[in-house]
Amino acid sequence: MQEGLDLMPQIRDKARELLTSGAVDCVIGYERASDGLTARPLFAYEPNDVDKLIFDQTCAHNLARFLVNKRDSTVAIVAKPCDSRAINLLLAEKQIQRERVYVIGVVCPGIVEATWGQIGDKLQARCQLCREHTPLVYDFLVGEPPAEEPPAEPYHDVAEMEAKSAAEKHSFWAEQFARCIRCYACRQACPGCYCTECFAEQLDPLWVGIRIAPMENEVWHIIRAFHLAGRCIACNECERVCPVNIPLSLLNRKLEKDVLELFGFRSGLSAEAVPPLATFKKEERLGMSE
Amino acid sequence: MTQIISRKDLLSWLERLIGERIVIAPARSNGMVLFQRASRAEDIVLDFDNTALSPKESFLPLSEALFTVDKENGNIKLMPTTVDEETVFFGIRPCDARGMALIDAPLLAAPADALYQQHRARTTLIGLACSQAGPECFCTSMGIAPDDPSNVDIMLTKVDDSYIVQAITEKGKALLPSDLIAESEVMPPPAPSLQAVLTEGIVEVMPGVFEAPYWSRLADRCLHCNICAYVCPTCYCFDIRDYIDEGSIERVRSWESCQSPGFTRLAGGYDPRSTKGARLRQRFYHKLSYFPEHFGLIGCVGCGRCVRYCPVNIDIREVISDIQKLGAQSEC
Amino acid sequence: MNAENPFIPYLATLLSTADLTPDTKFLTVELDDPDVRDRFDYKPGQFAILSAFGLGEAPFCLVSVSYRGRQLEFAVRRIGTVTNALHELEPGAKVGVRGPFGNYFSLEQYKGSNIIIIGGGIGMAPLRPVINFILDHRADYGDLLIINGARTPQDLVFAPEFATWAQAPGSRLELTVDRGDADWTGREALVPDVVKELKPSAENAIAITCGPPIMIRFTLIRLKELGFTDSQIVTTLEMKMKCGLGKCARCNVGDKYICQDGPVFTLEQISKFMEQF
Repeated sequence: MQEGLDLMPQIRDKARELLTSGAVDCVIGYERASDGLTARPLFAYEPNDVDKLIFDQTCAHNLARFLVNKRDSTVAIVAKPCDSRAINLLLAEKQIQRERVYVIGVVCPGIVEATWGQIGDKLQARCQLCREHTPLVYDFLVGEPPAEEPPAEPYHDVAEMEAKSAAEKHSFWAEQFARCIRCYACRQACPGCYCTECFAEQLDPLWVGIRIAPMENEVWHIIRAFHLAGRCIACNECERVCPVNIPLSLLNRKLEKDVLELFGFRSGLSAEAVPPLATFKKEERLGMSE
Repeated sequence: MTQIISRKDLLSWLERLIGERIVIAPARSNGMVLFQRASRAEDIVLDFDNTALSPKESFLPLSEALFTVDKENGNIKLMPTTVDEETVFFGIRPCDARGMALIDAPLLAAPADALYQQHRARTTLIGLACSQAGPECFCTSMGIAPDDPSNVDIMLTKVDDSYIVQAITEKGKALLPSDLIAESEVMPPPAPSLQAVLTEGIVEVMPGVFEAPYWSRLADRCLHCNICAYVCPTCYCFDIRDYIDEGSIERVRSWESCQSPGFTRLAGGYDPRSTKGARLRQRFYHKLSYFPEHFGLIGCVGCGRCVRYCPVNIDIREVISDIQKLGAQSEC
Repeated sequence: MNAENPFIPYLATLLSTADLTPDTKFLTVELDDPDVRDRFDYKPGQFAILSAFGLGEAPFCLVSVSYRGRQLEFAVRRIGTVTNALHELEPGAKVGVRGPFGNYFSLEQYKGSNIIIIGGGIGMAPLRPVINFILDHRADYGDLLIINGARTPQDLVFAPEFATWAQAPGSRLELTVDRGDADWTGREALVPDVVKELKPSAENAIAITCGPPIMIRFTLIRLKELGFTDSQIVTTLEMKMKCGLGKCARCNVGDKYICQDGPVFTLEQISKFMEQF
């Protein structure tokens, strides 16, 4: 892991100040997990709690996912650049109020591959492709914004998949989805999946049958991905939490790429821009006649 | 004297079994070790900590038809699913074998769950003692030893390049390959030692901390996914609904979890357990209070899968020790 | 219950359907196998699980009394997938029946007591067999007071039986609705307020109540004000039940399984549950 990364004191001081002054009810940040190595979300309510706050390259979670649960209070949140895009998405989709969220933005050195009990030395794949190292929305910034480097070509694996035949693509995904156990961790970890009632739980109309089996899994994953087309902010939490290693990012980024090509749109870059597939304009007739 | 089988002979025995019946055994798949149907003994993994998913899937499948509806010239006949094939389940760890015994308690209680009962009866369990413990393991805290043979038909314990073979049940004895087993003087190695959490008295402490704000604070970070329940070898909650596919009707049972939003929601929308804190609390109360009240044992075997896979590190060992502290405080 | 495989329903035929309210139907069902039909004994408060094949199964209390005849009666309110399907069925259709499940009202134990029945909406369903049992064994019980409420007069579930209930010796039927209509001359009041107004005596009495959660909550408060103890108040819980066998753990509340330990509980028993339902 990167040495000399010491954003912790600044985060703690700001959190303490916000809690002591009563400016916020709670600070959502990271603390050390029970393995003594990785990180987990921390909800700090008392100034005393802030000494548990940490920030390092194991702080993978996209904490913006918790903001909708805390709609009724005023909270501060520690946000990496990718998390800040999720905050913008939630603001654009009117799920949270800007004045009730205090963003402690952190300049991010990239998050390492880690599972509970084990830290790797490689950056996560999504961090290797990261284009924003400074949060896009914040009230207080921790760390020095680096000179932004031109991003690596982000879609080489998507392009490889696109080059395959429809049959090859289908057999690849059928195999991936077949092992899904429908724990819905991908949905639950996603900051963009905030529906009060998910289509997967609706009984009338019934979208996904009761069986946890290849056909239903396919329906689940395809609709999930489509609901996030042009909304996904590529934090890749869905893939990270998947207990059976389904490469969801490949699917998400295919749709991200398509929306970029079709609409020139990347989600979460501003709090005003509503994702193209989450809006409908009268002048968009999609070639249909009256 | 003990009976032993060499690694090579163990694999030939497994190869022989694969020819005779269904063999489920650990195998590598997409970066994980999972129990899978084996078609070749060489795919079977003998050295692993534990599988990513628990063995329960072989006995209580993710989804299974309870019966199909046979509609012939207006007459309806219900055709129950039956389990006809004999299965050998190889490589189950002592913690997971206890897990199956725990699921037996509710599912085999009269009137027994016929389908589950058939899966259990048609399966011979070959256990594999643990020679090392993972950082998430805490079976000893749940009264299980890493080499505990109690809940399997045959127990294998690795010694150097061989395995000590113990036939625990008659069913196990019947399966043993006498031609491949040798007598030996070897002694089993000491079981690995592992981290402990104090479980003594936890069942008694639980009722007193039900209203503690602890649960809603713990639920702050809970995502309410079903990972903990689905990787757990003792969680057995299920849902039942009908499934129609091109006119054929099945009544299907599928895994379900007390963490999922629809678990207690009634038709019409009322949900008596709608808050996150209440749902997370239900998980721990079922394991640490209600299950032991009903069946005498804590509903956890210390396999540590939920510890390893929880995306937000809700660590049951930490929860148990927090509850013990809360209990001690409320006594003062 | 099918002891061999308790998940396999008995086949049965829907004999007739009748509209009880705009959203509730009265279904009469007969088990196809005569042996099963003879064996299928149940007591007031018990329930069965009805299948509409292809759409699923759901629990319903048996609103008939076993000794009057072998036909099973249900009051089904259209509220979800299975109830929708059951409403669409025509007489002659095949359905599935599992059960009987659960415990029942301790009618033996209530002998000699005055009985107060307090029901709201479809909550009258489990109370109907209790009323009919008491009327059929009239001498065994003291006074019978029935307080039945609903949203509107059309939502009073067992209206065709009101005359019988009201005219039976020693019984009194008090109806109330939230909102009356042009023809309604009766009360417009909430059920708990009617309890408060009528002040039934707690002496030698048992109060049996079922209805929507909000009605139950305030009815319990009123009954306690009148001096009813927790052991004198009995209710039947509506909790999501699936298997009916104490296995699927859907209806687990505290250390109880509603489908096995319940659905009938005294308030004394419920207050020992840790969770509030």
